[in-house]
Amino acid sequence: MEPEYKSKYNAHLIKVILVLIVLGAGVIAAQALFIPSDFGEYGHYRTGAVEDERNRLVRNQTNESCLKCHPYIKKIHLGGVHKTVSCEFCHGPNADHAVDGKKIADMPVKRGEDIKALCLRCHNKIIRARPEESIKMIAMPQHLEEKRVQTTHICNQCHHVHAPMKWVIEAKRAHGLIKEEEKLFPWMN
Amino acid sequence: MDELKLSEIKEEIQKDRRAFIKNVLGGTIAGSLFLVIPAGAMEFPQQIPGMKDEKGTFITQKKFAFIVDITRCIGCGSCCVADKNEYKVPDGNYRTWVERYIIDDHDNVFVDAPNGGLDGYTEPREDVTNPVRDTFFVPKLCNMCEKPSCVQVCPVGATYQTEDGFVLIDDKRCVACSYCVQACPYSVRFINPVTKTADKCTWCYHRVRKGLLPACVNVCPVQARKFGDLNDKKSEVYDIMRQPHVISVLKHGMGNKPSLHYLGLRREVV
Repeated sequence: MEPEYKSKYNAHLIKVILVLIVLGAGVIAAQALFIPSDFGEYGHYRTGAVEDERNRLVRNQTNESCLKCHPYIKKIHLGGVHKTVSCEFCHGPNADHAVDGKKIADMPVKRGEDIKALCLRCHNKIIRARPEESIKMIAMPQHLEEKRVQTTHICNQCHHVHAPMKWVIEAKRAHGLIKEEEKLFPWMN
Repeated sequence: MDELKLSEIKEEIQKDRRAFIKNVLGGTIAGSLFLVIPAGAMEFPQQIPGMKDEKGTFITQKKFAFIVDITRCIGCGSCCVADKNEYKVPDGNYRTWVERYIIDDHDNVFVDAPNGGLDGYTEPREDVTNPVRDTFFVPKLCNMCEKPSCVQVCPVGATYQTEDGFVLIDDKRCVACSYCVQACPYSVRFINPVTKTADKCTWCYHRVRKGLLPACVNVCPVQARKFGDLNDKKSEVYDIMRQPHVISVLKHGMGNKPSLHYLGLRREVV
């Protein structure tokens, strides 16, 4: 009787061990299959992921890269108080316009009320919470009334969008309100 | 470093004088051609000095910091527009946004951010009845914590902190379980409905590696957002961090040690 029991006990043990071995092999195989080879090289992540993030497409360029192909606008834009305003803020990202220095599509150019909306994003006086000394603030219908023009006027009828004071100063010079060499504001154009 | 290079050059000359001269001439001609031929569109202007030398997997020589100057922000939303354009962020999700704070003389705080400031602020706040004591805008973005809780909770190793301190997301591994979205004390994370993975501001890691400033920093018309290398003693951020400004981080008590610093932050925000 004794040996029979013993052999049966062994058989159970062998079965359990076999199952464990198969499970272990399965886990190792699954790990090899699902965990990328570069995982855990520097930490609990895939090293290739850093490379992936690094190779993401740069869609916004700098003003420099825009103005390289637009010398006329460059002269006006950099001469005015709006020189710190990004081209892409109003016109959209460079990647939708040029690839490797070649034009692929036209940039959207804002017109009419859209221009007014863009101007007022920064210059609207009724939106409090803006540092006063930073930029010029205007209240919208009041500014037009003050300047004695129709209240339907769009900002770019008096202001060049790239150099806001350009035409104003030119007009004042033409009318002799300011002298030819005199600058109205040294920092303005 | 210089000594090493000098000795190397000397060794080269010793080896083969003719070849050395050839190399030098070749180098100078190639160099001058570089000046004549205009650089292609892929040639990026180096807004962060020294990034061209960082070729390894991680940035080794730099420690980046982001500073937001509350006293300068005008709430125009240029940064939000640039960010949306850079990453094609789906509507209703924000990698960065701008909050408007209005504090009246009874110390009631009114905060709003219509569409995350993406369309700018077009309407004044009507429900403020008492005289206003203080108003300002607070741009928010990833705090790039030194001890990020989002990384700690990620079960699949999809969110990680690189050795150069950036907290990034591997969208090939992310299973969108949203643990990180809940763990982030600053609520900068969201599940991107297009990619169906977690998403957040990366301080434009891809741009920084190419020597460009983050998109939002690059477009800010009043320089309210500043980004730079704290190891570079000539950088603006180094200058600001050394001077006795009011500099603070958000939720200091959480212990995440953010690398995003705010200049002139009011106690109502912290």
